[in-house]
Amino acid sequence: MDSSKKKAIHEDEDNGPWFPMLFSFFSEMTSLTLFTAKYCKNLFIPPYEINELLKQCYFVGYRSLPLVGITGFIMGLVLTIQSRPTLSEFGAESWLPAMVAVSIIREIGPVITALICAGKVGSGIGAELASMRVTEQIDAMEVSGINPFNYIVVTRILATTLMLPVLVVFSDVIALAGSFLAVNINGEVTFTLFFSQVIDSLAFSDVFPSFIKTFFFGFAIGLIGCYKGYNTDKGTEGVGLSANSAVVLSSLLIFVMDMIAVQITDLLF
Amino acid sequence: MKNNNRNKIKLGIFVTIGLALFILGIYLIGDKQKMFNNTVTISGIFKDVSGLQVGNNVRFSGITIGVVENIEIVSDSAVRVDFSIDEQTKKFIKKNAKITIGSDGLMGNKVAIIIPGTAGNKEIQDKDFLITTVPVSMDEILAKLKTTSNNAATITDDLAAMTHSIRSGKGTVGKLFMDTVFADNLDKTLVNIKQGAGGFKNNMDAASDNFLLRGFFKKKKKNREKDKEKK
Repeated sequence: MDSSKKKAIHEDEDNGPWFPMLFSFFSEMTSLTLFTAKYCKNLFIPPYEINELLKQCYFVGYRSLPLVGITGFIMGLVLTIQSRPTLSEFGAESWLPAMVAVSIIREIGPVITALICAGKVGSGIGAELASMRVTEQIDAMEVSGINPFNYIVVTRILATTLMLPVLVVFSDVIALAGSFLAVNINGEVTFTLFFSQVIDSLAFSDVFPSFIKTFFFGFAIGLIGCYKGYNTDKGTEGVGLSANSAVVLSSLLIFVMDMIAVQITDLLF
Repeated sequence: MKNNNRNKIKLGIFVTIGLALFILGIYLIGDKQKMFNNTVTISGIFKDVSGLQVGNNVRFSGITIGVVENIEIVSDSAVRVDFSIDEQTKKFIKKNAKITIGSDGLMGNKVAIIIPGTAGNKEIQDKDFLITTVPVSMDEILAKLKTTSNNAATITDDLAAMTHSIRSGKGTVGKLFMDTVFADNLDKTLVNIKQGAGGFKNNMDAASDNFLLRGFFKKKKKNREKDKEKK
């Protein structure tokens, strides 16, 4: 924050303690909007860093798979075990696969996977870019004629946007495998029956909205991580702060976007 | 460089499997909704669709053969519902088949149920209209249940009054159950009837041995034997 902004805040301290917070919030919103606009513009401006993009996709997608897979498996298993007693009370135990499938595909799969990625990938991007900024590597890129925004920011945001949906597909499938295992802990359901009940319970209106919103979740994770890292200050202390705020803000944004997505889905289908 | 290529291959496999799983899921869901099969559209006019929605299943003999394609109000007392059903199953559905709206279990989704027509009729064709039957709504069931329970209440009230009368010895049945004198008299009457019946039997035996009536009884016996032989 430059001295003129500090002065402006100081001058308006009489307006109450909320004013600096409000000023900071709107100032941050403006910066974020400009950052997003710059990303959208640079997305179509060469040079296209394909190799860097693939590298980032590898790190964001492939390297996150074990974590996402384990989380998904536990998610399916736990959800099934926890839901069983309630359904048993109504004598509706046979609805377990259908209920778990709809819950996982519609909501839990995309949101939990996005939160896991916000923790793993968002914080990683925030810390990496912040340390590059602090150690003046980004300035060095500019001097050496490389467009740092295209090389660092565009590739990372694009990688998270494209890889999160793929991770969600894996997470959903693994979660259903966990659910199948949980169903068979206390009962005996063949794979064919379980599979048939899962497919019967799903419709396109369950799959497509949840798949489309994962692109936005991925975009939010990459955007917030890059924004916080790219615009860091306060030296080495800023690296930790950037990583932390990237996770917090992207997680919050995921929930807000999910709420909006649910409203839109409810309106359209 | 070599490591970089290996990572690209891993990424390629990862993305390919992910996309394949997604496409497979979409195909299976679409296949369930008969989106990739040849279908025929049949329609029905209902007075009340009881919450049937687009996408609900169509069942024939308990098997899902299609989905509800479209629902639209055509007048103040008629709703037109279009059903998309698998073309392969149309040969089993006759022109006089009926369609009704049911429920998938007690709490499940609504389903359209096709009741088979009679043999000898022609099979349905695309754009045909089927006869619809009015589904029994939950409200109707509850209304009937209310009438039944009201009747049951009246009957139990009457029964209570009757048992009260019986217990207090009023009326014939009450006297029969509760009046000990009446019971004694009844018992004596039965004894008298038994004795009277015994005396009557003796009289009849004596009459059959009498020379005036012997011929009549013999004739009757012969007729009985003849009837037996005929049978």
